[in-house]
Amino acid sequence: MIFSELHELGILGINNRVGRYILRYNNRKFYPLVDNKVLTAERALAWGIAMPDNYLVIENYGSLKNLHFKLAQYDSFVIKPANGSQGNGIIVIKEIIKEEVNGEPHLMFRRSNDKIMNIEELKHHISGILSGLYSLAGQSDIAIIQSKIDKHPIFDDYSFGGIPDIRVIVFEGFPVMSMVRLPTKSSDGRANLHQGAIGAGLDMKNGWVNNAVIRNQVVDVHPDTGHKIKGLKLPFWPEILELASQCFDMVGLGYIGVDIVLTPDRGPIILELNARPGLAIQIANLSGLVPRLEKIRNEAPRNLMAKDRAAFSMKNF
Amino acid sequence: MRKITFAITTILIFVPLFMLAYKVQVLNISLIPQMVEDVWNFHMSMRPKGEQRTFSYPIPKSAPGIKLTDDKIKSRDMEVFIDESSDSRIATWTAKEPFKRKLTFSGRIDLKPLVYKNIPKDFSDSYPKGLDIFLKVPDLLPEDVAAISLLENAILEGTEDKTSLVRKIYYYVEEEIQRNTAIKTIHETLNTGKGSPLIKAKLFNIMVRRKGIPSRIVVQVRMPNVQQQLAKKKSRFTFANEVFLSNRWVPIDTNRGYFAERPDSVLVIHHNYDEVEKLISRRNASYTIQIERAKINKYNKTEFKKTILRSDSFFSKFSLYRLPLPLQAMFTTILLIPLGTLVLSLARNIIGIPTFGIFTPILLTLFFKETSFGFGLVFFMIVVLIGIGERYVLDKFYLLAVPRLSIILTLVILLMITYTVTANDVSFISQNHLAFFPIVIVTTNIERLSIMITEEGIINTLKTLLGTLMIAILGFSLYTIPELEMFMFSNPELLFTVMGLLILIGKYKGYRLSEFIRFRDLVRQKKKLEAK
Repeated sequence: MIFSELHELGILGINNRVGRYILRYNNRKFYPLVDNKVLTAERALAWGIAMPDNYLVIENYGSLKNLHFKLAQYDSFVIKPANGSQGNGIIVIKEIIKEEVNGEPHLMFRRSNDKIMNIEELKHHISGILSGLYSLAGQSDIAIIQSKIDKHPIFDDYSFGGIPDIRVIVFEGFPVMSMVRLPTKSSDGRANLHQGAIGAGLDMKNGWVNNAVIRNQVVDVHPDTGHKIKGLKLPFWPEILELASQCFDMVGLGYIGVDIVLTPDRGPIILELNARPGLAIQIANLSGLVPRLEKIRNEAPRNLMAKDRAAFSMKNF
Repeated sequence: MRKITFAITTILIFVPLFMLAYKVQVLNISLIPQMVEDVWNFHMSMRPKGEQRTFSYPIPKSAPGIKLTDDKIKSRDMEVFIDESSDSRIATWTAKEPFKRKLTFSGRIDLKPLVYKNIPKDFSDSYPKGLDIFLKVPDLLPEDVAAISLLENAILEGTEDKTSLVRKIYYYVEEEIQRNTAIKTIHETLNTGKGSPLIKAKLFNIMVRRKGIPSRIVVQVRMPNVQQQLAKKKSRFTFANEVFLSNRWVPIDTNRGYFAERPDSVLVIHHNYDEVEKLISRRNASYTIQIERAKINKYNKTEFKKTILRSDSFFSKFSLYRLPLPLQAMFTTILLIPLGTLVLSLARNIIGIPTFGIFTPILLTLFFKETSFGFGLVFFMIVVLIGIGERYVLDKFYLLAVPRLSIILTLVILLMITYTVTANDVSFISQNHLAFFPIVIVTTNIERLSIMITEEGIINTLKTLLGTLMIAILGFSLYTIPELEMFMFSNPELLFTVMGLLILIGKYKGYRLSEFIRFRDLVRQKKKLEAK
């Protein structure tokens, strides 16, 4: 059989992921909690789980009218669709250029890739979000304007442009596998593996990078900074895993991907949750998910606190 | 798999199959209608000569191997009498004024070959009275009689039974008399060894009758071959024989070389040349015969419907053949869609081919089917280009998504009418008013395509586009098998089998073929690490 090698490595395939884990362990009624970032943020607030601050939630076209007044008070922000996926529709504004034209305040926006947008372009993008251009099923959507997250200094040598994020797969509350996604020039500064960001597998015991790939190829150094990626060790590792583990209690979904960013001031915070996390994390880690998932299914003790579940994973994987 | 799923799947898959078996074995209904083969449109027109007020002409009649349907005689204000008293038919027109217009006979003809195997030896010496006229030897010149006697001595010496006699005469006339249309009398033929087809038939007829065996000359028409059909060549009467052996008329053709056999390329107009010789002569009338292959009604649905209704079973009550024809046509198309989804599910979940939207390939398949493959493909490509171009152009206007999508849709409709109005030939587009409908729906997925280009890059987008087209083409290939369409239409219960198979695909949790490629590098690198 051509698949016998995949079997031996315990690689999780799409059909298996959907049929055996997502459909079994993810109750449909909890999906909105992860798909809609507004709901996720509300939940997180109630549970005391750290997330970026939401400045504005734009639910209809009418609220676009005096948008520039509302935005003028901030220095930077991020626009994202509440129901988006894979980072689609997200725009990061790192600087608001405030001028005065004919006595009227005039705003220009500098994006993380240094492109300049005017307010009309910004509103156009937001109305695209509202009409469902980026939402999972094309239904009309809500736009969130939230605080821009700054890059933790540990990533200075490992990232080009945007903020790296840490993906943790959490199964029944146990962190299973994780990776950090490092933006590159070819990914346009975004932490999107499709577009060529680095996927760096993390050792569950200690948060060391154990392997790194760009699209399916193993890399040793960051193509833009030249730094050796394997030297990277994430700080706050036990906290990161505990945070990821808490998300299971928060949303009640058995199989999720938790995206975490490290902030310079607040430490690890949740960026978003994903009820259908991708499989590329196995390539980044050069190992399969199935043995770990089965170990949790068969051997993990039940009714543990998030901290203990994280500890179980650190000990076993 | 859980027991209940297994049970449901098994029932869904096998019950319809048992139903098929029941239809074939017990009810004797075939699974699809028979193809209507060898059907010809036959058209014969006659122009009577002189001032005739009654006019007779032989017309074909159904007989073993010849099935005549839809036969029509143009009569207008004339009276037509058809004499069917013998095994042939003669139509007689009567009018108050002499005939000015052409008289016509037309019909649809289904021919089957007629073959008599192993004709036993025949020693009969007396025949029913009605056959007397077929024994009468025509008057010949004394020298011709002498020549024929000599021939008989040479070739028939010692032969006793009539079947062998006829066979020997056949071999002689078929092989020794050369075909030559200029030689038109028995006398010349006996001197030169050549003769026209009619003379050969006559000589054979005389020689057989002289041996006391009933024989006759048959007037017939040969079906045109492909080239002749293309050239619209008119057919002429030709002549063959029939000999009464072992109590039946046995066809023999000394011109084309058939003994006790009539091929399915021959239609008998009249079985007794003697009776119609004057009628078909040029002095009485001129005639033209046009024969074409009938292309309509590829499957004999009418007959099939009758068979089903006659079976008086469960199936006769729920047959789609009860529906009006336009609905039947629609369902013939629609019933293949579930098969298409089967292909789609296999392609997506087992092979792992990416597609735009879930049902876009199926919609494209329908579009190809309702127009044509080439046109459909080109049109789809143009729609894709419009979708991409639109994004660059309309981006400047900051339009909301729904109106913008609607603009693409309107552009596509504009494209359709522009094409349809300006094109020379739109006959390939189904007259069904829904022909363009699938592509209109596909349009709404085009916006996703341009988003995908920005989000995932041109390579991934092209892969997805190709995947979509590939499945659409696979689906379309189902429609190129007419038997499949008929099969599903005649046995719609198979939809349950399709559902059973879909459950099986839905239950598949193994790897997709595409994952073999996706994780290939992982496997390779893991091995390299282990080797270290």
